[in-house]
Amino acid sequence: MQNETTTRDLKDRLALIEAMIAEGRRTTESWGWAFVLWGAAFYIAIAWATWGHTARAWPVTMAAAVVVTVVLASIKTRHEAETTLGRAVGSVWLALGISIFLLFISLGVAGKLTDPHLFIAVTSGMLGMANAASALILRWKVQFGCAIIWWAAAVAGCFGTESQSTIVFLTAIFICQIVFGVYGMVCEHRAKSHRGTAHA
Amino acid sequence: MPDLPELNPIIHGKLRLALLSLLAGVEEADFVWLRGKTGSTDGNLGAQLARLEEAGYVRVQKKFVKRKPKTLYRMTDAGRQALAEYIQALKQLLGAAIGN
Repeated sequence: MQNETTTRDLKDRLALIEAMIAEGRRTTESWGWAFVLWGAAFYIAIAWATWGHTARAWPVTMAAAVVVTVVLASIKTRHEAETTLGRAVGSVWLALGISIFLLFISLGVAGKLTDPHLFIAVTSGMLGMANAASALILRWKVQFGCAIIWWAAAVAGCFGTESQSTIVFLTAIFICQIVFGVYGMVCEHRAKSHRGTAHA
Repeated sequence: MPDLPELNPIIHGKLRLALLSLLAGVEEADFVWLRGKTGSTDGNLGAQLARLEEAGYVRVQKKFVKRKPKTLYRMTDAGRQALAEYIQALKQLLGAAIGN
């Protein structure tokens, strides 16, 4: 068998092994849509709360975003392979969701969520933590850049005026959710178009 | 001159090699995902996976998710070992070929 095997064929097989292992591990870029969805949900909730003057804006919008995320995720990941990396990153975001949900529901019910600085600082700080953890797991510099932007927004939430903090928060949402989400989707599309086939 | 290693014929098939390499990067994967990644047909994919299962390189688990059947594949320790040995042999052969 080996007599028939050329050097080129051996190299092709080594390249195939590397490409397939990398392909198996590539799961994270397919979550770009979730970043865009949550960015849009933040904007809707902020606009509704500002101009609608209702306390229901945030809980209703966030609950709707959770439902849409769960439905879309179950459809999109129906035939995805499970990887340790994917589970690690998923755990970070799930833990963030539970923490934010419990914290803000409790603060809201206790009537202590009256200061917008507190809301911006805590939300941005937590999003910075989740993005940084995900970026370190995936070794993804672009996402770590998002974490830095969120941390900057958290600091601005503590020291800036209300309007300054709000502008920084809205900008962070645009860059780290909308732009980063679209970037993730573009990466996913590019990766799909480069995929080849392996026949027996 | 040292003896050149034999390449494992079960792994050497291109699709079987692709399947083992894919499964090496994940914990488990379903049939549809493997089909999408390899661009193979159902019949060919099923036959090659069955061969890997016979060799003990892959473990199969069938279950129902929302009343739909799902076949999950997971690489065994023997499969991981065989792939590692195959890669080692491949590198040795390449080294010998370049040396000549």
